[in-house]
Amino acid sequence: MKTVIAMVRKELIDAMRDKRSVMAGLYYAIGTPLLMCGMFMVLIGQLSSPEDLNINITNSDNAPDLVRFLNNRGINASTDEGVSVKDVKDIELIISDDYAENMAKAKPAEVTLIADNSNEKLQKSIRRVELQLQAYSSEMGSLRLIARGINPAVVQPVKVIVEDQATPDSKGGFILGIAIFTMIYSVFISGMNLAIDTSAGERERNSLALLLSHPISTRQLVLGKIIAVTCFALLGLLLILLVSKFAYTFVPWQELGFSVNISPDFMGLMLFIGIPLAIMAATLQLFVSFMAKSFKEAQSYLTMVLFVPLALSMAASYNIAPDVLEWLPVSGQQQALMAFIKGREIPMLQLLVSSGATLVLSVALALGLEKLLKSEKVVFGL
Amino acid sequence: MNIGKVMLQGTFNKVRKPKLLARQSKLISAIQVGLLSMLSLSVTAEETTSSHAPLSACYVDGLSEQVQCGSLMVAENPAIPDGKQIAIHYAVLPAIKPSFKKQALLAIAGGPGQSAIENAAGFNRVLAKVRQDRDILLIDQRGTGQSSILACDDDNMSALSFNDDDMDYVADTQKCLDKIDADVSQYGSLTALKDFEAVREHLNYDKFHLYGVSYGTRMAQLYMREYPQALATVTLDGVVPMQQSVIAIGSAIDRGYALLFKDCQKNSQCQQQFPTLEQDFQQVDNALAEAAIVTQTRNPQTDEIADFTLTRGKFNGAIRMALYMPNIRALIPHAIHQASIGNYQPILGIYTLTADSTGIAMGMHASVVCGEDIHRLTDDIRQRAKGSYMATTMIEGLEATCSVWNMPQVDSSFSDAIESDIPTLLLSGELDPATPPSWGEMATEKLSNAKHFISKFATHGVAYQSCGNELMADLVTSGSLDNIDGECLEKDVSRSFYLNANTVEVIPTTTEEE
Amino acid sequence: MITVTNLSKKIGDVQALDNLSFSAHDGHITGLLGPNGAGKTTCLRTVFGLLAADEGHAEIDGIDVAKEPTKAKAQLGLFPDPFGLYERLSPREYISYFAELSGMSKNDAKQATQNVIAQLKLEDIADRRCKGFSQGQRMKTALAQAIVHKPTNIILDEPTRGLDVMSTRLLRDILLSLKAAGHCVLFSSHVMQEVAALCDQVIVMADGKVVATGSPEELCQQTGKDSLEDAFIQLIGTDEGIAA
Repeated sequence: MKTVIAMVRKELIDAMRDKRSVMAGLYYAIGTPLLMCGMFMVLIGQLSSPEDLNINITNSDNAPDLVRFLNNRGINASTDEGVSVKDVKDIELIISDDYAENMAKAKPAEVTLIADNSNEKLQKSIRRVELQLQAYSSEMGSLRLIARGINPAVVQPVKVIVEDQATPDSKGGFILGIAIFTMIYSVFISGMNLAIDTSAGERERNSLALLLSHPISTRQLVLGKIIAVTCFALLGLLLILLVSKFAYTFVPWQELGFSVNISPDFMGLMLFIGIPLAIMAATLQLFVSFMAKSFKEAQSYLTMVLFVPLALSMAASYNIAPDVLEWLPVSGQQQALMAFIKGREIPMLQLLVSSGATLVLSVALALGLEKLLKSEKVVFGL
Repeated sequence: MNIGKVMLQGTFNKVRKPKLLARQSKLISAIQVGLLSMLSLSVTAEETTSSHAPLSACYVDGLSEQVQCGSLMVAENPAIPDGKQIAIHYAVLPAIKPSFKKQALLAIAGGPGQSAIENAAGFNRVLAKVRQDRDILLIDQRGTGQSSILACDDDNMSALSFNDDDMDYVADTQKCLDKIDADVSQYGSLTALKDFEAVREHLNYDKFHLYGVSYGTRMAQLYMREYPQALATVTLDGVVPMQQSVIAIGSAIDRGYALLFKDCQKNSQCQQQFPTLEQDFQQVDNALAEAAIVTQTRNPQTDEIADFTLTRGKFNGAIRMALYMPNIRALIPHAIHQASIGNYQPILGIYTLTADSTGIAMGMHASVVCGEDIHRLTDDIRQRAKGSYMATTMIEGLEATCSVWNMPQVDSSFSDAIESDIPTLLLSGELDPATPPSWGEMATEKLSNAKHFISKFATHGVAYQSCGNELMADLVTSGSLDNIDGECLEKDVSRSFYLNANTVEVIPTTTEEE
Repeated sequence: MITVTNLSKKIGDVQALDNLSFSAHDGHITGLLGPNGAGKTTCLRTVFGLLAADEGHAEIDGIDVAKEPTKAKAQLGLFPDPFGLYERLSPREYISYFAELSGMSKNDAKQATQNVIAQLKLEDIADRRCKGFSQGQRMKTALAQAIVHKPTNIILDEPTRGLDVMSTRLLRDILLSLKAAGHCVLFSSHVMQEVAALCDQVIVMADGKVVATGSPEELCQQTGKDSLEDAFIQLIGTDEGIAA
């Protein structure tokens, strides 16, 4: 064990001094949450309807009451004073010429809403205009009934009471799914360079043979390297959690109607669940790297191999994921974390199975590694 | 006062609370002071909320999302801590993004007697911006909603046919009081205020931002007086100054009428369509003063044939309630005119809408008014009430009620102007038929850090009808009035008058009909 | 004491070691001399247990490397070719790391490192990172690594390759002092001068076999040549792959 500790210590010191390893881990852990936050900020700004929504209203003189009604709800005509042309959304509302005439006779008075509903940037604004037009129409309808001595309640025969079971946290589920995905992936990314450096790199530097010529068992060697890479992976995870916690608070999620909050509880759970994942990531990466002949080759192999956890995690972040994903490594943990953050009950059995499977896989890979390092082919690249 | 708001959403039906009665409608139209802050929504906050855990998920009427509910047991009589306990229920609309976990905005409903929780949907809409980063706390004040409600419901009367002139207020009030199993003297504002503060501590908030609307402004002002350290900002909307007895509401109602007539006169379409509006009103009012009009009609809701007894009280009550809501107010000239030519359907429509939907707990209402206001009935008020049907009727009704509803008088210092430097935003609606702008002005007397804005187009409940809610959000966010200029209130958000039963727009001359 | 008995090893289709037997004694410097591709490195790797012999066995101080690798390797110090330095570690860290891997406690390793640094006069570079070291500095660091845990047997794989004259002389001195201290020093080389100047015993290898064994003088006698170089060429039949 003493030997293993010495190895881990050396590997970590070595890795910390390796700009490439550190940067790879750090760039991802720091950069990803920041990038995502930046992206979401832009996205939210584009997707949400501005407080003052300026649209083109044609023939506004035909329906002054309607225009004032919309105005009171922040929907302004482009001709209003203080409205600059560039703030006008590409939405046009045309009030028909016979609007007042039809209205007076209680015939449907036409207004035409012209907009491109496939334009994501406009969708919310369009919906908002539609909603307010409906509200106005419904209000007038009610007043007309009142004027006839009828209680407007009679035209709402069914009252639908919706009890939405979403919690504030679960509303941000999609975002959180992506956030958790980036965190899980950080476990794989953060240790990757170290894994390559300490395996393929070690051999390339000819220090592997020297190591093996010392009175240590291959098991110790494998353990030392796994632990070192695992530590690095967890460090990356911790870092991305901290950066995320910090960065996500700056995104105006509330404009989307929910909040994204990385709670200390979640961070604790994520770290805990991340341990088996990190071990598996480490063994997997070491295994693949040792199979490769050079640093470069290891890199390209790993890029391919890491697609598997990437795909699992990605798939699990969507609600449509098949159930079997709950039981698999990576996706199982991802779904448990999502359940936790959505305030649902954590699927313990699934979490245990997937974490167990993760560990079993790790042990298998570690044993494989041990065998690999006994092979002359691998050690000397013969 | 937001019957109007309900209409704006086109969700009238939500305002129905079928068990509300003729009896109550009578009270509203005649004697109820009616500072109610908004139309009630029926009570559906789950009973599960009565658990004593601080907060648990629940649903409140009008909101599909999960919110948090809870309750706190307090002594009914604070002087007897071990005596009868009552549960004060509250609901928290959690902040969308809780950036200020130690703060909440406490929204205080009007009435007196309305439930804050039942009005959650309205508060949620008006306070949407504040809620972005702060919790909204709604407390059912003792005697209202789920907090040991003092209701005076009486299911046995038909709202259409009953004649309010036949009512015996004293007997009815006595009957109600007999049914109530509570020490009604403990349901005044000051006792209720202790509950609010207890809930604040219970929920561990350091600071409250207050939003009081209508009677809720009295609670907010008392809060400023009693627990200033607990407050960050205060918004008073439709202000009842401490110096003012709500008994004086009669003159505010008369002012509301006068403004309506003036508005219609100034508006060329309304003037053209209803050139003799005020005379029309007088004509109907005088006729009703002589005798109630009984017509056979259809029940506005069920379409059954029914007798509609239109009394002077019901007629004036319906108009008064319609004055609260800008959109229904727009129908009044048409309704008055139609009544003057013998068509009572529009008035019936307005009456039926407003009669059973205020959600006021009349017992609690009485506890407040009889303890805090009736003794302030001066000769001056009495004098001015003379010649005003509404003012006189209200005073008479309240005196009758309070003769039964025996409340200890509050201390005379109760009526002192509030002295405070807490940033305070006051909002008044020029068209308000309950709390006119002059009342708001009066409240600022000793407020050293206050701004009072008057919305030209709003009635009662300015934040619901204008950008007043944004001003409040600015105040809550910045904690200061410095950058609040109220300019946005200038925006013309007035509603056009109905020119016939169908339209508010100019009727093309070729198709004009009357 | 290193003893190799009937060692055979095939790498791919090449018979790298072919029934190889020799021994290197404590207090002696033994040179493994052979042309490139003679199987010197394979032989040394087998002695370290890095390669498994197809037949035969290697013993360190009487311990079979294949059977008890850890115990056997504890008695060995390796000066590899190439050195296998960790560029981001300082010599002090590097040396003490391998001292720990050789079974020393952290403190002992620290002390031993200090000693070997003094012994090899590495003080000036001991705390600089290895990156950018000259070949001589690298050699000294690698050598320090090999001897820090004071193994009885020290194996050097082509130790003088790439060294300048000064470094070579220094290395020579160190090897002599190790010999004087009673260590068994085994090194492989294809450089005549080295072998001639240092070795008590020379094992001449070609094609995985021992061609001849003896002191340089004995080899000269055996072949009847005046110089070891001539003797060597005589022994292996060609001068290919040999440096003078």
